[in-house]
Amino acid sequence: MRHLRFQAQTVFRVLAVTLVLVALAATATPTASQPKVTPKGKMTLAWHAGLASRWLDPQEHDGTATPDNFLTAIHDALIKNQGTTLYDHPALAERYTFAPDAKSATFWLRKGITFHNGEPVTPQDVKFSYENYRGAKADVFKRKTERVEIVDDRTIRFHFKEPFLDFVILFGTSNVAGPGWIVPEKYYKQVGADGFKQKPIGAGPYKLVRHEPGVKIELEAFDGYYRPVHVKQFVMTAVPEAATRVAMLERGEADLIYFVPGELISKVGKLPGVVLAPVLSGSWWLEFPGFQDPKSPFRDKRVREAVSLAIDRRAINQAEAGGLGKPTGNWINNDVQYAIEWPEFEKNVERAKQLLREAGYPNGFDVDWLTPVPPFYSRAERIISQLREVGIRARLQTMERGIYLQRLQSGLKDWPGTQIIFQAARIAGSWSFWYEAYFKCGGFSSRDRICVKDLDAQFEQHENSINPAERKKLAEAIQKGILENHYIVPVFRHAFVNAIGPRIAAQKWQDIFPTITTGYAYPWEDIKLKEQ
Amino acid sequence: MRQFIIRRVLYSLVTLGILSATIFVIVRLTGDPALLMAEAGARPEDLERVRQQWGLDRSWPVQYLSFVQNIFMGELGKSFNYRLPVSELYFQRLPNSLTLGFAATLISIVIGVPAGIISAVKVNTWWDNLAKGVALLGLSIPGFWLGLVLILIFSVWLRWLPTSGAGDWRHVIMPALALGWYFAASLLRLTRSSLLEVLGSEYIKLARLKGLPEVVVVAMHAFKNALIPVFTLAGVNLVVMVNAAVIIEVIFAWPGIGRLLYEGIFQRDFPLVQGVVVMAGFMIVGINLVVDILYAFIDPRIRLAR
Amino acid sequence: MATIAARTSPTSPGVRHVVSALREAPMVAVVILVGLTLVAIFADLIAPYDPTLPVKGAKVFDPPFWMEGGSTATLLGTDFQGRDVLSRLIFGARVSLVVGLMGTVVAGSIGTAMGILSGYVGGWVDQVIMRVTDAWLALPALVFAIFLAALVGPSMWNIVIILGAVYWTRYARVIRGEVLTLREREFVKLAEIAGASKLRVIRRHILPNVMNTTMVLASLTVGVVIIAEASLSFLGVGVPPPQPAWGLMLAEARSMLMAGQWWLTVFPGICIVLIVLATQLFGDWLRVRLDPQLRNL
Repeated sequence: MRHLRFQAQTVFRVLAVTLVLVALAATATPTASQPKVTPKGKMTLAWHAGLASRWLDPQEHDGTATPDNFLTAIHDALIKNQGTTLYDHPALAERYTFAPDAKSATFWLRKGITFHNGEPVTPQDVKFSYENYRGAKADVFKRKTERVEIVDDRTIRFHFKEPFLDFVILFGTSNVAGPGWIVPEKYYKQVGADGFKQKPIGAGPYKLVRHEPGVKIELEAFDGYYRPVHVKQFVMTAVPEAATRVAMLERGEADLIYFVPGELISKVGKLPGVVLAPVLSGSWWLEFPGFQDPKSPFRDKRVREAVSLAIDRRAINQAEAGGLGKPTGNWINNDVQYAIEWPEFEKNVERAKQLLREAGYPNGFDVDWLTPVPPFYSRAERIISQLREVGIRARLQTMERGIYLQRLQSGLKDWPGTQIIFQAARIAGSWSFWYEAYFKCGGFSSRDRICVKDLDAQFEQHENSINPAERKKLAEAIQKGILENHYIVPVFRHAFVNAIGPRIAAQKWQDIFPTITTGYAYPWEDIKLKEQ
Repeated sequence: MRQFIIRRVLYSLVTLGILSATIFVIVRLTGDPALLMAEAGARPEDLERVRQQWGLDRSWPVQYLSFVQNIFMGELGKSFNYRLPVSELYFQRLPNSLTLGFAATLISIVIGVPAGIISAVKVNTWWDNLAKGVALLGLSIPGFWLGLVLILIFSVWLRWLPTSGAGDWRHVIMPALALGWYFAASLLRLTRSSLLEVLGSEYIKLARLKGLPEVVVVAMHAFKNALIPVFTLAGVNLVVMVNAAVIIEVIFAWPGIGRLLYEGIFQRDFPLVQGVVVMAGFMIVGINLVVDILYAFIDPRIRLAR
Repeated sequence: MATIAARTSPTSPGVRHVVSALREAPMVAVVILVGLTLVAIFADLIAPYDPTLPVKGAKVFDPPFWMEGGSTATLLGTDFQGRDVLSRLIFGARVSLVVGLMGTVVAGSIGTAMGILSGYVGGWVDQVIMRVTDAWLALPALVFAIFLAALVGPSMWNIVIILGAVYWTRYARVIRGEVLTLREREFVKLAEIAGASKLRVIRRHILPNVMNTTMVLASLTVGVVIIAEASLSFLGVGVPPPQPAWGLMLAEARSMLMAGQWWLTVFPGICIVLIVLATQLFGDWLRVRLDPQLRNL
């Protein structure tokens, strides 16, 4: 009997110890553990333009919606836009707080994150990345930031001089600015900014294997990434000719191709195993430079309204984007702060003609030039022929892209006479970034061509306000003002049509293009190849 | 002889000087690259900063002098876009362009010369007309169209060849064919007319009278003399091709110098464009110089001429 | 083998010679050239539709009338904007002929002038011109054309000037060679001794004799210039749309090769082949007729 009791006690003790050990083991397991995935296979992306080396360096983010395609592969940020999260999906930071008075922001770094060279990601690197940032909106960050405080070995706090309401959006939207994308301080200083662009090292899901400037970027899955990376080898190659990209897709040389032009959309859609990915991207609108001049026919609101009524947005959408764009509603896309909803624009040729008659143009009038963003001439030609229907006769002006940008910069003097500019922009982050660049008097692209005083005054208020409710009200009022007065005439939202090849596992295209703030296929680590 | 060489070298230097000045001015006339390099929201201060960074705020003569100085030190400037020394970029891409150029020249010789010979030997028969027809097509079909048709047929339909990029011999064939097609046609015509002329000459008539078989006549005697101008042209074509294969390189995503230059122009990458043009100039002027000197060795009359 | 007969009379015998010999010219070439010229001149009357506007009632990418889905209203089909291909080809003749011929004229004029100056005046003028020519040749022609197009903006006449500016060097060298030979000829030396001014000698003796070469070179350049127009359009700096030009039509429609709308590239291609054929035949014939020595040009 005593023998048995001894055994029972031992069993109890063993069980108890085991239970305790198991409990300890459970609590000690890292909270962010994911099932380990072995990356395998290779995928190739055929990129539709040239490859600028600055896109591999978040420190010199050029403010366009292009670098994010590359940054998200090689680098990572504290918070970023991913999936349906517009700007604050936790990445290198596992959480953050933004003070209610908008004068500080605190980030807690994830445990165990490293750069590709094995060095750990530290708050020192975050501070360096922020303070050394020289790219788009750098002046805004510098002006408003008082100091960057390293609280402890995992925590960092940004202190602002005044309430910085836009901080989180600017910080976290990868197609707006880049100081939140963390680069290794030691390595960056060691190789210098130029060296870094040849051989970047980041904390992202893929590390650089080979970089042929302007030609190809070869990447390999980084096994120290805190999320599972599925495809082992990832090649991005520059193929500027659309027909060649389509041929690559057909032959299986490319698994993902960007930018299928309008005339090839239906053909690519019919290829076996290929899924079209029509991502909504840039908004297109008509601008009337110098319309407030008394000599301009566009000074009359009825004339501008007539232009809007004359345009067949659905037809343009059908022809230029295979019907996959968005021909309706506000030109400010709804994934951007304070965008308002707007009903579909009416097409009514008769009413347009009537309005023109009322405004004193029974036989229409001549427009010297209609200039689209080069080289999108075919859609401009469609607009021209539609305007002709109501008697507005315009001629297409073509010019090389560099010249176009330059002319935009120099303002009204480079747009004499009666002109229409068919402008486009990929609007990101906040509606106010668009207003500031494309509408405000003195804006980078608008210069002195628009200058609506009362709206600009309201915008000043908006910018100076620290009350989100007041900001929202002003934002909505300004957009309404623009739309009701037809200061610009929105045309459509273009579809950046990409194609997913048969080797990639995708039920629907949103599986590969889940991030709604961009036209690119990130997060890259989530892309899987079909099982053989 | 030495005087001749010195004179020729001096000429070459002057040519290069004119070339570099021309490209320097032209590139600056097309506008302000700071605009294209700065981000969408840049303010005038940012643009100014960019200009200062790249030395664009100095006056043109100063910039030009510094440019020339640097050339003598072997430094062609740094590309705005790629942040690499232009010379490095150039030499990275040069082998690709040379490969394409050589392959295209080879193809143009392999197609053009035999066809030209056949055409001349069987002059005015339907062989001749066929060859002339082929030559016509070569001269009137733009390279980009041919290139895309080749991709369509051989990559997409037949799946024999890869569509684009650089790699092994399979990657070179189509771009070389698309590039060399035009030159094959002109070589064909030149071979034909050159051979016809020689075949009609007294020398050949004599060989025939001697009773030599036609093949020998053609191969031994006519061939040699007729081919001198042909190969000269082929040599010139090679150089032209290396520099002018822009369109083929764009279509086939071939990583060559033409594409580098073309993209550089549209991005207003001043140092890149200047540097590549000067390098290309060096190459062409250098080759011309060597050829001139060689000819002078062979033919003394040339060194005494102006 | 004939020798060059010295021309000492003041009227341009080269041209007169050509005109009188036209009667014996190759019929095919003449028919094509004259036909295309007539089409270009009377385009407004011949073409069924406005080439820059979509045809009402027609869809985009309608095939030619003999294929399924085509209609006789648009005989050769419609393009990606729904414009009638035949009308665009007809109006395109205008542009292509103007660009091709005028471009050649500009190139030929500049080149011949430079060649004559260089060869006849000699000295440092010669050196400078020759160095400039070398430098020009070292500059890739298309690249230079892109630059110029970016500088002055695309328009049909600008393209003509650009192409002329790019291709003049081909003439300069050859003409210079000719002039160097001519200078040593007796009739020129006699004129110089007799006190004729340089300009007079050039006008009366040199120019008429180099015209042959110029014209032969010109016939060869037309094709090159027309293809160059296509290349410029490919690069985005050619004749600006919506004006139709054969090279532009080819360039615009190239990606449609992949989608099967072959007629958009094949028909303009055929037109280009025709005009190149015509100028080649004409040039060949001209060359032999005027001076067999020029066969190797």
